[in-house]
Amino acid sequence: MHRGADSRRARDNHDGRDVSRRSLHRWSTLALALGALSLVAAACSSTPTAAKKKTQKTTASTTTTSPAPTTTSAVVAAAPTTTTAAPAAHTVATTPPKATSSACSTSGGPLSAACDTQSPSFKASGAGANSIQPFFTRVFYYYSQANKSVSVNYSPAGSSVGVTDIEQNTVSFGDSEIPIKTPASGTGGNIVQVPVDLGGVAISYNLPGVAAGLKLDGPTLAGIYLGKITKWNDSAITALNPGVNLPPTTIVPVRRADSSGPGYDLDQYLIDTGGSTWTGSAAGTTASTKWPITNVGIGEQLNTGVAGFIQQTPGAIGYVEYAYSLQAGFTNVALKNAAGSYVKPSQSSIAAAGSQATTLSATNFNIVNGGGAGTYPLANFSWTLLYQKQSNTSQGVALGKLFDWVTTTGQQQATALGYSPLPANVVALAHQTLLTLENSAGKALFTS
Amino acid sequence: MSLTVLPAGSGDFTDAIGTRRELVRESARRSLARRRIAGRIAIALCMVAVAISLAPLVALVAYTTSRGIRVLSWSFLTHVPTPPGIPGGGISSAIVGSVIIVGLAAVIAVPVGTMCALFLVERRGRLAGAIRFGADVLTGVPSIALGIFAYAVLIGPGSLIGHFSGLAGSFALAVLMLPIVIRASEAAMRSVPRDLWEAGLALGVRRSRVVRSVVLRGALPGLVTGNLLAVARAVGETAPLFVTVLGASLLVTNPLQPMGALSLTIFNNANQALPAAQQLAWGTAFVLLVLVLVLSVVARLVSARLNRQARR
Amino acid sequence: MSTTLLEEVPPPRLSPVPGVKDGLQRRWARPGGRAYAILRWTGATIFAVIVIGLVVSLMASASQAFGHSGLSFLWSGTYNATKDIYPTGIYIIGTLITTAVAIVLAVPIGVGTAAFLSELAPKWLAGPLSVLIDLIAAVPSIVVGLWGLLVLSPVFARHVEPFLKKIPVLEWFFHGPAYGPSMLLAGTVLAVMILPTIVALSRTALASVASEDREAARALGATRWQVVRTAVVPGARTGIEAAVILAMGRALGETIAVSLVIGNNNALPHSLLAPGATLGSAIINNFGEANPGLDKSSVIGLVVVLLAITALVNIGGQLLLRRRLRAVGATT
Repeated sequence: MHRGADSRRARDNHDGRDVSRRSLHRWSTLALALGALSLVAAACSSTPTAAKKKTQKTTASTTTTSPAPTTTSAVVAAAPTTTTAAPAAHTVATTPPKATSSACSTSGGPLSAACDTQSPSFKASGAGANSIQPFFTRVFYYYSQANKSVSVNYSPAGSSVGVTDIEQNTVSFGDSEIPIKTPASGTGGNIVQVPVDLGGVAISYNLPGVAAGLKLDGPTLAGIYLGKITKWNDSAITALNPGVNLPPTTIVPVRRADSSGPGYDLDQYLIDTGGSTWTGSAAGTTASTKWPITNVGIGEQLNTGVAGFIQQTPGAIGYVEYAYSLQAGFTNVALKNAAGSYVKPSQSSIAAAGSQATTLSATNFNIVNGGGAGTYPLANFSWTLLYQKQSNTSQGVALGKLFDWVTTTGQQQATALGYSPLPANVVALAHQTLLTLENSAGKALFTS
Repeated sequence: MSLTVLPAGSGDFTDAIGTRRELVRESARRSLARRRIAGRIAIALCMVAVAISLAPLVALVAYTTSRGIRVLSWSFLTHVPTPPGIPGGGISSAIVGSVIIVGLAAVIAVPVGTMCALFLVERRGRLAGAIRFGADVLTGVPSIALGIFAYAVLIGPGSLIGHFSGLAGSFALAVLMLPIVIRASEAAMRSVPRDLWEAGLALGVRRSRVVRSVVLRGALPGLVTGNLLAVARAVGETAPLFVTVLGASLLVTNPLQPMGALSLTIFNNANQALPAAQQLAWGTAFVLLVLVLVLSVVARLVSARLNRQARR
Repeated sequence: MSTTLLEEVPPPRLSPVPGVKDGLQRRWARPGGRAYAILRWTGATIFAVIVIGLVVSLMASASQAFGHSGLSFLWSGTYNATKDIYPTGIYIIGTLITTAVAIVLAVPIGVGTAAFLSELAPKWLAGPLSVLIDLIAAVPSIVVGLWGLLVLSPVFARHVEPFLKKIPVLEWFFHGPAYGPSMLLAGTVLAVMILPTIVALSRTALASVASEDREAARALGATRWQVVRTAVVPGARTGIEAAVILAMGRALGETIAVSLVIGNNNALPHSLLAPGATLGSAIINNFGEANPGLDKSSVIGLVVVLLAITALVNIGGQLLLRRRLRAVGATT
């Protein structure tokens, strides 16, 4: 009997080992398959990393012509596309002019449009405004195509995240719709602020049967966002829009649950024009990036959340970056500006607002509620935040050239997306600011 | 049920018994009918409950599949995302990022968890009880708290790495996986029959050798199940990654840099008004769903094999 | 040294032969056994350090906020964006309401499903169905949140919420403007997420009721349903309570899915149809952009409050169960 028990146990053990070995095989096969998939994915993946390794070896001398943008296997060449919903026309990629100047230098040299695509290799990481994301992703993509040695990752988590991150030096650059209070500084020293694009804030609404261009002004908007005006056919709204058939739908005001540049702009506008109803409420007299009245309406995260909610809720009204509203095909409000005209957001009306910023600087940045017949009252510049003292010189050169390209050649991408190209004086301001970048020893990175 | 009635006139006493018996049977029959109907109604309600339980799963899977499957293609899985309006984008950076982050988390959590489970199996006393209690409580900690813990230790000012990175995300996910691995491993090791332990020890074999050759081998299916379930739980987490890994659209393989992840891609893209971005998000959601379901099903198959083996 | 290793000797029943024990001890006293001991202790120490480090670092980061406002941090009801004051009291109430809604919705359905799967369903059906229900737990929470926002929210706004407003008896619960995102919707989404936990654990509890109890009830003439109602469910009550407590802990800590469907209103909800905010949604909305210093410390303070509530629920539940089990053990 003893032997029988032994042999049974031996048999059981044998089976147990077999089964566990089979499970081990299954498990290791699964792990290998996952590993193989990820390796294949990494191998087939697009150019910046692969090409960067190639060009690192070749760009050694200072007298080189800019490498022609080659499109290698994985990346699809940009072609004119039509998307079903967005009315914006997407233009063909315009390649930057080939540099012929022999004075460009990858370790500094002149900062000019011709030399912007020659820089040391660098993987930049940035965080900041959600509103500039469509512009940045497109501009960085084209820059990487023109300059294979630089790739940029941008995280559109919000202006405040960008400010916090650059102050704590956890990213290479930040971006904010509102400049930091000067003197701006963080753990790495002084921070310089470079205006990089010009955008507007659309007040979008979802009201089936009502055409675009509904007229609203400061006091009415304040009433909506304070919860005092609750129906679309309220007398305040119908008074501004005679002849428009407004339904008795409930208004659903949508706001940003997180801090936002568009929120700041609208808050500033309502402080300027909304009267004592707005300034006497919790909103106060100072604009803030965190929306002040949070017990009315629905809060959603990021421009995308607000846009998505407006899209699916009849009766909703909310503020989004104009680029997002253009992509979604929203109907936008014609807002009353300081001259008394009701202006809809468009590339030209936003450009008109930008052109009023004749003395733009990081301390004098407010272009909300500008005057003029065709000026849209809710516009703002977006500011990129960089440390003045770049501890790593080649990274500093790469960043400087990147943003010089963004503010000059890259502006061609702005119009198609719903932003306006920077006015000439602002481009000059950006250039001047970038020239103040210096290395850790205090010497300027660029010569002119 | 037949009613045997004594013939009338058999006597007053038997009459009374018969009537009483008939009364009891009649009331029992009525109550049984009532109880049966009540039972049938209750069972029907339970079936409605089952249908209501299954409805969200069917709705979720159907919605994710219908929105995500259109985008799925080989190029979708192998290309990096492109800016809005430019076709040909994909989620390879997110897949690679997720694999690296979760892989590193597993590399941290599985050895530490198994070692701790060995400790709990070998030792009795208040310390072991306290650690077991700690593991039980740690399973209930919200994942956002673990993410912020990783932020405080690894990212915030004056900390070890100092900036957003995949490694911080891995650390948060490892702390998330740790209690699952510990409890599952301990249960698996304890399920190895005691006489196998004793047989090994009786042969004079060192304790560590017994554990290595007998216990771990016998508990291997249970260990694999527990680890796979922990990995499946970690892959689907968004909140800890949100505060530790900044997210990246380009391919990043260095864990000390911000990287992309599947759940972050979904979060950043899903609400976008542009249809292409929405498609990207739901394609990613579909991929993530399939990945997590596959891991769960595999874990379940392994555990079923274990049960079958134990019963033999 | 040898005394330490002696503690690791397993219980004496291992070696009934007198004298053999000494030999085995000497075997383990060899250096080979020490490495194994070091391995085990390393694992346990790392785990303990992580748990203690979690609590200590979070409380240290939150200390600035608590020092600034004192205990009134816990029940403040005003939101002041510029002064970085968060209405913790409102968040706590919102968290409790959404969790309560989730439990009210999920427990009857979950226990009914578990009873069906464990007792009433044919065996070939029970297995696959329970696997399917467990797969809901495998769906990432962000997908559930997005589905709630994109699919459930319009349905709620157009059909469910107006319907609920019309019921005269429940007017105290359901009144006021309803846009879709609300406490009710958040509670529903949470109920979907905690359902698999309740079903799986209740099923285990129901299956572990001794078969003698079932047979006894059957012998007394109970119908199938009566067996379940009178013998099985009461016997599994401890396990079902454990399941509910665990599910409650999960619902309390959910962040992203809730933030998408709750509307993010920093105000006391006037009814279940109003948008509101919970601790989880407030944390996820505010952490990334909180300015370093008092702001970030306040958000981490919210995390500490959430952690405390979750831990209280979990620990309280565990103690209750242990006491209940001990009482049951004493009587048998």
